[in-house]
Amino acid sequence: MTHFIQVLIDAVAIGSLYALVALAIGLVFGVMRLINFAQGDYITIGAYSLVVPSAAATPALMFGALPWPAMILCVILTVVVLALVTERLAFRPLRNSDLTSLLISSFAVSYFLQSLILMVHGGRPKTVSIGDALSRAVEIFGVRLPGVQLLTMVVALTLLIVLVLFLKKTPIGIQLRAAAEDFQMARLLGVPANRVIAIAFAISGILGGTISLLVIIQTGTLDIRMGLMPTIFAFFATVIGGMGSLPGAVVGGYIMGILSVLLQAYLPAELRPFRDAGVFSIVILILLVRPQGIFAKTAKERV
Amino acid sequence: MALASSVAPAQEAEPIKIGFATALSGWLAAYDQEPHQAAILKIEEINKAGGLLGRKIEYQVTDTKTDLTLTANVAASLIDWGANMLVVPPDFDYGAPAAFMAQNANLIAISTGASDPKMGVQGVGSNVFSAHSAGQAAGIVMAEYAHDKMNAKTAFMLEDVSLEAHKSSCAGFVAGWENKGGELVGRDSFRMEDTSIAAQITRIKGLASEPDIIFLCSGLPQGASAVRQVRAAGIDTPILAEAGMSGDYWLGGVPNLKDFYVPTLMSISDDPRPEVNKFIEAYKARWGALPTTEFSILGYCTIEQWAAAVEQAQSVETEVVLAVMNQFEDQPTTCGPTSYSDQIHIQVSRPQLIARVENGSFRSVEIFRNQFVPDLKLLLRSSN
Repeated sequence: MTHFIQVLIDAVAIGSLYALVALAIGLVFGVMRLINFAQGDYITIGAYSLVVPSAAATPALMFGALPWPAMILCVILTVVVLALVTERLAFRPLRNSDLTSLLISSFAVSYFLQSLILMVHGGRPKTVSIGDALSRAVEIFGVRLPGVQLLTMVVALTLLIVLVLFLKKTPIGIQLRAAAEDFQMARLLGVPANRVIAIAFAISGILGGTISLLVIIQTGTLDIRMGLMPTIFAFFATVIGGMGSLPGAVVGGYIMGILSVLLQAYLPAELRPFRDAGVFSIVILILLVRPQGIFAKTAKERV
Repeated sequence: MALASSVAPAQEAEPIKIGFATALSGWLAAYDQEPHQAAILKIEEINKAGGLLGRKIEYQVTDTKTDLTLTANVAASLIDWGANMLVVPPDFDYGAPAAFMAQNANLIAISTGASDPKMGVQGVGSNVFSAHSAGQAAGIVMAEYAHDKMNAKTAFMLEDVSLEAHKSSCAGFVAGWENKGGELVGRDSFRMEDTSIAAQITRIKGLASEPDIIFLCSGLPQGASAVRQVRAAGIDTPILAEAGMSGDYWLGGVPNLKDFYVPTLMSISDDPRPEVNKFIEAYKARWGALPTTEFSILGYCTIEQWAAAVEQAQSVETEVVLAVMNQFEDQPTTCGPTSYSDQIHIQVSRPQLIARVENGSFRSVEIFRNQFVPDLKLLLRSSN
């Protein structure tokens, strides 16, 4: 029983991380019908901003050297600025062209950012250690709670609550939801498109920067592909949750995390290397049963 | 021109040509550049000492840009240039295209650092060698070291299944460990992209009793991430890893790491072997900085072993040099005794330097040689 609870905690912790990424992707998709594959690179760049840009194998700390409130602020700010710049330069000019062009543009941004990191930081993976106090575990009734898992769950929950309040209670949040519901209608009713979209990107940047920090505390490693897998999992999370539904994205994130941990924990040893094949098979099954995703009310033309 | 060539005998005037298909850009550059520079150092030393067979060695280097197609083209142009042998990238996937070209042109190709035995007779062709040890050998060395020197009886194995090289090390560990009579109390796998290995850690925590050691076959950066997570979970069991985890540069990611061992080629700061320290000094003098990875020395030995074979053969003809290299048995090189056979073109029992992490850097412990030698079946993992 203790073992099962332990597995469950592992699952919820990684699910929280996927939920945050899924939320960022879902938010931008909602207002722009863009699946932003560069979201993973936002995470990567946020993480790399902790060290001084150089090809050195053991780089000096940049934002990582700051006291933690300043560090968090700087990393998040970096990612927010990056998200806004990519929106302005790569996505806004294409807003009226077809959705495929937007998607291709997001791939281009993603490759561009990866090449940029390769150019500035070199190809060798690096390590950086922040939040070492959190890299210890506390045991409660035989259940191990690593500091970073606890932090991930708390941060995810807090951000979810803040975001819900923002979307429900503030005028700009309501405009954002209206735009996500029906962008053309919202515009006709006077919702400023540029502002709403920029805000969605800014929030995806805040989430991206937060995820950077959570991942780095956990893994301590910098790599140009570090954002890729969480983003792919999150993309599937938004699909099974229902494209365009924010609660769906969050629930989808938890489902992905829980599936991958349960399969890792309970598959026989020979099958474990193929865990992700299992995860995505179940995703396909879910989509066969509910093609519109779990939370989407009806299958609109939006998919 | 006619006058000049009549003055010196043609044999002396004609240089020996070595072609380098080297990744000077792209991700592989981080692993190819230093071995390449070490190889140039060796060539310059040979030339300074009067050349090889009395002939100067000339070299040409072309960037493969870590691109598979380009790698083959680069090799073809080096062959056209008249190379007598090719040095190819230190990775099976990215080195094989160049090695294939050399094989087809009947030239010897040596990969500075491929740890996959397929970089040889069975995978590419009979002219192709790797200067490195097989991944399996790293696992065997650590299994025997844990058993003989650390008195370990039980082991847990954490296998990174994202690269074949890591799976080879784990296959070697299992074979070496079983051969010593050790007990494998559990195993689990993870992938490079996994952000969290919490489920795997829960499995280690759930073992009836703590194992004596954990064997980790993985590389960087994911291996560093795994070690950080294992230690963060309060598991202080000694961890033995493979050569892919050597190098101090990642240790900042796991502060206060202890009881972590790797088999490695050399230590840049405190190697017990004078010839290795001499290489490091010479490298620093030539390139203005210490090498950052211990793989660099493989480039030096690549040239060293080929030159030794040419010297013995008194020829650069592929057939003759190949016959000599296939007979190498504990041929002394700066990397250690080097052996090949007509079937195995990679090192399987070269003594390795065991290094342990102390105060944030790897310190040499001792040179250790495995007794159990992997056969072709284990090397090619054909039973899997």
